[in-house]
Amino acid sequence: MKAFIALVHRELIEHRGAFLLGPLLLVAVLFGATILAFTVGRVDARFSGAMLTVAPLRIYELGFLGFGVGWSFYLMATLFFYAADGFAADKRNNAMLFWKSMPVGDFKVLLSKLTAAITLLPGTVYAVALLSGVLLYGVAYVTMLINGTGTVAALGGIGMVYVNVALAILVSFAVGLIWYLPYIALVGGLATAIGRWAIPVSLVLPTIVATLEWVTLGGLHPFTTRTWDYLGYRSTFPLIEDGYIDAWFVGTEPFNALLYTTDLLGRVDWTQVGIGVVFSLAMIYLGSEYRRRSNDN
Amino acid sequence: MTELSTANLNESIDPIVSARGLRKSFGRKEILHGLDFDIPPGRIYGLIGHNGAGKTTTLNAMLGLTNCEGTIRVLGEDPFARRAKLMENVAFISDVASLPRFLRVRELFALLTNIHPNFSQEKARSFLEGTDIRPEMKIKHLSKGMIAQLHLAVVMAIDAKLLVLDEPTLGLDITYRKRFYRRLLEDYMTEERTLLITTHQVDEIEFMLSDIMFIRDGELILHMQMETVNDKFTQVVVNDPDSQAAARAHGPVYEETRFGQTVMIFDGVDRAVLEPFGTLSTPTLSDLFVALMQRPTANPETAQ
Repeated sequence: MKAFIALVHRELIEHRGAFLLGPLLLVAVLFGATILAFTVGRVDARFSGAMLTVAPLRIYELGFLGFGVGWSFYLMATLFFYAADGFAADKRNNAMLFWKSMPVGDFKVLLSKLTAAITLLPGTVYAVALLSGVLLYGVAYVTMLINGTGTVAALGGIGMVYVNVALAILVSFAVGLIWYLPYIALVGGLATAIGRWAIPVSLVLPTIVATLEWVTLGGLHPFTTRTWDYLGYRSTFPLIEDGYIDAWFVGTEPFNALLYTTDLLGRVDWTQVGIGVVFSLAMIYLGSEYRRRSNDN
Repeated sequence: MTELSTANLNESIDPIVSARGLRKSFGRKEILHGLDFDIPPGRIYGLIGHNGAGKTTTLNAMLGLTNCEGTIRVLGEDPFARRAKLMENVAFISDVASLPRFLRVRELFALLTNIHPNFSQEKARSFLEGTDIRPEMKIKHLSKGMIAQLHLAVVMAIDAKLLVLDEPTLGLDITYRKRFYRRLLEDYMTEERTLLITTHQVDEIEFMLSDIMFIRDGELILHMQMETVNDKFTQVVVNDPDSQAAARAHGPVYEETRFGQTVMIFDGVDRAVLEPFGTLSTPTLSDLFVALMQRPTANPETAQ
């Protein structure tokens, strides 16, 4: 277990640019731009503070949730590229020979990469997302103070909003990661064999499979096949229409992370999650067997 | 001319490596043609051959990096089936530049401490004392020589029974190369450890070898203790044409002219017999390598 944890940790060391330094830089740039905007008068602090008093908590909720959505997209993009690059990264500079001199099997190495992809790496992005929320709330609250509407009571309410939204982002990240796990494993497994070519291949693969079904089993065209419908279903985040988010958006109640979590977890197709886990392990196993047997050390 | 004298000498000792009928093909081309050998513990082996002779393939088979026909056992295990377990007691350097470059030196040591049960961080740090390598340095910023030093420190800090070095000093200058091998001998080798080295710079490792294996076109053509090599092979420098003709009658395995002198190498001919023909000496490994490795197309082969 100690070796496995060390292998997961090395993924963060190797890819800290994408999962830690990049997000921190992004936050620094946004924060710097915000401060600059106030400093040069592009945004009026007193006016902004006054705006925040119209519906203060709702604006705080929307702002941080918006950040959460933004960070989710960032995470999805980086994980996609991580799977394509990270699973083949051991070949770089002949380093495969070094890793193969270690008493660790290929399956364990690839499993550590997949584990890193759904734990430590998104964990660092989540930590930066929390930091971005703190900075967002800090700037907003300072504008309220300048406007003269910032109070200790308001600060307590803002704190509760922060905790609720932070929890909701965490649950969304977790559900998204287990829902999209087979995609990460598919790209990673392909990358073990073909490196970064896994990016275009994984994008084209659904069309090829759907076309094969259309050719062999018939149908109007490849995009009306069961394969295509299934992949469409499997690519959609469970949080869709008529859920808690819709109700909260049109209502006046403060955002409640518990209700959001209950609603989201209730919408997850857990059978598909189970199938996804099995598929992912199968992909990792196939990738590890390729890695074990291939001669491109 | 495969002389398994070492194997015969150590029949009672369990070999560290044992191969029987080892074959490997890439596509239709067979690279290894059924190698049979044993490597006993506590020896320093040199595996020597020209490019494409099958050295690295043989090593890869030992290290579980490739699957072969026949049987190979390392420390009693099938290396391909049990590579991860085997690597607890086997260390290897297959390329001096193979350390992961994204790590700092201290990160590498911390990682190895957690991954490798037989790695000692204290030993590794002590091996780096006196070098310019610092814990905070990134490996990608180290020179090639420094990476070689670091890699050697890493493998020497692993308490392994078998150390395999495949061209470990390739591309390094002579200062680093000499320091590398001296360090290996002084700080690492014990009677319990076995070392297997392949290199083209055979003269540089000759002093440390206890045994040699020459591999040519996927076949072992020589497997012998160094003492036996010294006894068995004789080099004669012959100047006089009459003596040359007389010496040729004893069947030299190799003959060449250097700076106007004729040099012949004999296999298994009594030195007393050769004494009258010229100046006798023991051929260096590189001379012997050239003598035995001549391809039939380039030079009529007498070594088989």
